[in-house]
Amino acid sequence: MGRSRFGIALALAVVLIAGAVVAVLAGADSEGTSARPGLPPSPPSALAPKNVPVGPRPLAHWAPVLAATAARERPADPTLVGEVPTRTPEGTTNIVLATGAAARRAGELWVRVRLPALPEDAHGWVRRSALGGYSPVHTRLVVDRARLAATLFRDKRRVFRARVGIGAPGTTTPGGDFYVRNRLEKYQSPFYGPIAFGTSARSTEVSDWPAGGFVGIHGTNRPDLIPGRISHGCIRLSNPDILRLARLMPVGTLVTVR
Amino acid sequence: MEHRAQLSLQAVDCDGAIAEAVDALTGDTRADFFRKAVIGGSALAASLEAPALAKQGLPKKDTKILQFDLTLEYLQAAMYTEAQRLRALPPRTLDWAKVVGANERGHVRAIRGLLGKDAVKSPRFNFRGVTEDDRAFTETAVAFEDLTAALLKTQALQVKSRGVLAALVSLHSVEARHAAWIRHIAGVVPARAAFDKRTSKAKVVKLVDSTRFVVSAPKTSGRRRPKYTG
Repeated sequence: MGRSRFGIALALAVVLIAGAVVAVLAGADSEGTSARPGLPPSPPSALAPKNVPVGPRPLAHWAPVLAATAARERPADPTLVGEVPTRTPEGTTNIVLATGAAARRAGELWVRVRLPALPEDAHGWVRRSALGGYSPVHTRLVVDRARLAATLFRDKRRVFRARVGIGAPGTTTPGGDFYVRNRLEKYQSPFYGPIAFGTSARSTEVSDWPAGGFVGIHGTNRPDLIPGRISHGCIRLSNPDILRLARLMPVGTLVTVR
Repeated sequence: MEHRAQLSLQAVDCDGAIAEAVDALTGDTRADFFRKAVIGGSALAASLEAPALAKQGLPKKDTKILQFDLTLEYLQAAMYTEAQRLRALPPRTLDWAKVVGANERGHVRAIRGLLGKDAVKSPRFNFRGVTEDDRAFTETAVAFEDLTAALLKTQALQVKSRGVLAALVSLHSVEARHAAWIRHIAGVVPARAAFDKRTSKAKVVKLVDSTRFVVSAPKTSGRRRPKYTG
């Protein structure tokens, strides 16, 4: 009896020890054969702050046009979809909006860009070498033609809202996705208010306007007409509102007219 | 029209700090280096408190050196940031660019903290497709990590403040880690020799100059009367 109890106890002890050994070996195996060696991490940072994350992803990137070029239907394709000059009609540097990843064709890098041309939402591929450095875009101005209101978002957060005047019947403000191309100020024209922004949008109804009928966002000498459908296609704001917007809206800002 | 300023090292070296630093790349003896590179405990403690250093006021020479370092860090941080945002590179490259970029942006913020009101503004950059081309990006990244490490090593001999010295040494080792890590990923031996070879001023100038990354801002505003439809 005493022997059998001893035998059972011995057997249990053997089982427990064997289990422990297996567990230890398994643990050793999981660490010892792991892809990560048992090295200490990199030393802590000596200077504060430490790492800085990249921040919110931009809505898009814009780039100046350094050399007059032709936009093509596809990278290195002979089919042209438009000319891309280096200057705007107001004499500022022309810019384009990069809308996708670059592609390499025949040893050359090509970028798909939104063009300041008709039809609305015109796109084309241009040589990367014709463009300057990218600038990130974090702002979008949404113009609501039904509500006669403009709202500016920065990284999806609303930072500005105002009532606007838009195109009258027959000279309507075109709908679609555009971008701010330039900023003008200190010119002599009360009609446009103190500051005016040029966009890539072009009127489809005013064909004989000087410089091709680009749509602007500007102040006014007739604030009594705002809000309303009163312009030749431009988006008009009261002068206090355009000054406030000018502090928040950089060149390159996306413009959505809906 | 080309929107670049003088695309050379001289263009960003407004105060001559970089030229001075590069001159020293071949100037000091190794004994000088080890003598000057002894870091006291108090200096290391000072480096932990960047704003405190700025408040104390940095020696003029140290300020100039840090201003140029800041410009180089701006360049590196901007390159990694743009690559991360464009997402045109393969995921494998973006993985390390994300880690190194976070470090470089940390360097920018830390040096700005050290300089306080003397911090210079970031130049504008045109990376000319490098952030969209895997091979060009990797080669450029290694070149700039090496360049920054070489400069920091040299500047460590020149700064007067021990706090700044400790800060430069802290930056230097991380830049060297970056260069080694990227080389390893690219399949190149990270450290082929026991000591880094000295480089000439001409070589460093040529490297930075060849990139033509520093450009002037495009003229997107004007005073002409608008020609919009009205």
